[in-house]
Amino acid sequence: MRRLLILSVLLQAVLGNENFVGHQVLRISAADEAQVQKVKELEFLEHLKLDFWRDPVRPGLPIDVRVPFSSIQAVKVFLESQGISYDIMIEDVQSLLDEEQEQMSNFQARALSTDTFNYATYHTLDEIYEFIDLLVAENPQLVSKIQIGNTFEGRPIYVLKFSTGGTNRPAIWIDTGIHSREWVTQASGVWFAKKITKDYGQDPAFTAILDNLDIFLEIVTNPDGFAYTHKTNRMWRKTRSRTQGSLCVGADPNRNWDAGFGLAGASSNPCSDTYHGKSANSEVEVKSIVDFVTNHGNIKAFISIHSYSQLLLYPYGYTSVPAPDKEELDQLAKSAVTALTSLYGTKYTYGSIIDTIYQASGNTVDWTYSQGIKYSFTFELRDTGLRGFLLPASQIIPTAEETWLALLTIMDHTFKHPY
Amino acid sequence: MQPRRPLPPTPLLWLLLSLALPAAAVAPWDRERTDVPARPPAAGLPRGILQLAARAALHFFNFRASSPSALRVLAAVQEGRAWVDPQEGCEVNLVFSTERYNPEEEGEESLGKCSARVFFKNQKPRPAINVTCMGLTEKIKRQERDNLLYKQVKQLKNPLNVISIPDSHGHIDPSLRPLWDLAFLGSSYVMWEKTTQFLNYYLVQISRVKQLKTNDDGIDFDFTVLLHEFSTQEIIPCQIHLFWYPGKPLKVQYHCQELQSPEEASGIDEASAMAPTELSNF
Repeated sequence: MRRLLILSVLLQAVLGNENFVGHQVLRISAADEAQVQKVKELEFLEHLKLDFWRDPVRPGLPIDVRVPFSSIQAVKVFLESQGISYDIMIEDVQSLLDEEQEQMSNFQARALSTDTFNYATYHTLDEIYEFIDLLVAENPQLVSKIQIGNTFEGRPIYVLKFSTGGTNRPAIWIDTGIHSREWVTQASGVWFAKKITKDYGQDPAFTAILDNLDIFLEIVTNPDGFAYTHKTNRMWRKTRSRTQGSLCVGADPNRNWDAGFGLAGASSNPCSDTYHGKSANSEVEVKSIVDFVTNHGNIKAFISIHSYSQLLLYPYGYTSVPAPDKEELDQLAKSAVTALTSLYGTKYTYGSIIDTIYQASGNTVDWTYSQGIKYSFTFELRDTGLRGFLLPASQIIPTAEETWLALLTIMDHTFKHPY
Repeated sequence: MQPRRPLPPTPLLWLLLSLALPAAAVAPWDRERTDVPARPPAAGLPRGILQLAARAALHFFNFRASSPSALRVLAAVQEGRAWVDPQEGCEVNLVFSTERYNPEEEGEESLGKCSARVFFKNQKPRPAINVTCMGLTEKIKRQERDNLLYKQVKQLKNPLNVISIPDSHGHIDPSLRPLWDLAFLGSSYVMWEKTTQFLNYYLVQISRVKQLKTNDDGIDFDFTVLLHEFSTQEIIPCQIHLFWYPGKPLKVQYHCQELQSPEEASGIDEASAMAPTELSNF
């Protein structure tokens, strides 16, 4: 019903070139015939420019009227002085119209299967969540969706599980989009998900991996931030959590982990883009993963994906003390980077976080490594600064393809070196 | 991995440094090769200093060349030495290869080579730079391309119905590419002036075009860019006003929003008057 009403308003807008900012739709309840008459009188006051969606007929039937912004106060004062009760059905007609418009155009772009999904473009949160459901529906034996929590703003946080059976098998974890503005990462995550379902049973090396290990893939690790990059600020990096006493929003989810938390390499200023948060795991997006990893207890490789800079990094970020497994991690990083570069010649640098990029405390893989997950890596995908976060969509698939080769190297090594 | 052999420093420098630096087994000269991951740097020497210095040198070079169609970007650092004297500053000597910023229009060999000396005085920005580059596009071709760019900008319809370049999806409309190149040129000046041994910058986006006037005297371009600051990760809006004519030195004024306002950096402060902080006239 509402959609029909909206469409009729939309038609008016298109034809009459009006906008409806600040217009409200009121639902008036006339208690008796006298009140019905009073409302009818309003109709005759042309200067109010009221638009009745449901005309006053008799007591008991709702009267719906669209009231232009300039008339709102007058109408409400009138109704109140007459003791006529009303509800605000629509707070702002224009906002609703804008939302509907967006949904309608999204509807047209919606893929019906993961085979018709467009991997070479950036998608919204809704589109990615729909993709996830499609993938699960198409591959029920292989893929399932797990909700590991809710974001600060109440959005569900989903992880895809790829498994060929067993109970609590050793597992690989991959996450993308922890920093919401790094759009090539979520886009690559979507591509990885599809790739897994395509290659299982087709590629022998990968099939062997998935026959023995599970893969967990969190495509949108920071849903609130991601929605914000679409709606308001394309450059948003952090979560969207509110701190009492500060005007600034959000903490850096890659400084919020319990590994060297709060030490040099993060900011204590809530307005900073590297604000570590009020305490370790204060961000629910981080805590959800911590709980999942801890409860699972059998994750053997943890890969967190960022952009940009073209780097493959291993712990530590918070200290220059070398990680005990530094030699093995360095060798594995070298092999992974060689595999990556083999596809398109994309050059990567590798090393520990603190040596290669900068000191970063409370970061993801320092924590996962401290939990005994030996193969903990952070990627920084394309490019090296020419476009940075605004990587042209034409580079999504090449980036995902080359990165996949590096991931395969790490997964294969994890499979062949159980610990 | 190639073994690294630190060069023995001169006795005086060694005395200076051994007094200034903690007594760790540290080589005051850091010889880096690009195919080798960076090792823990000498105390006081910032990580990635060679890359940072190369980028600063290129910003300065691009600005001085004043040619939006002949912009160069870093390909790889080939060799470099850096040292720090806490009293004086940080000096970097390096050799690096470059590529054309616009590789799309290619066919010609685009790899160039530069050698540079970059000096950061006492952790301050605006490093002193000596840079020489070879293998660049010949002057005549550069002039041709600059003239073509000038014509293309002249043809743009005003007022520009444009919000961001590139858009959220990283797309730049081909007709707007010349504006992006001009913005990059103007931003080069800003990024050179802001670079310190700890902070460097990348151009993210033209977030607003305030005014574009093109006449026979040149292009008058007033716009806002977003710069990405490493290692703080902050996005810094800078309002830039440049004047350019093919073959003439670039003139540029700018004002960057330094303090992070409560809320996102994309909130451009429209009400405040822009105070020109620099007027460059070479």
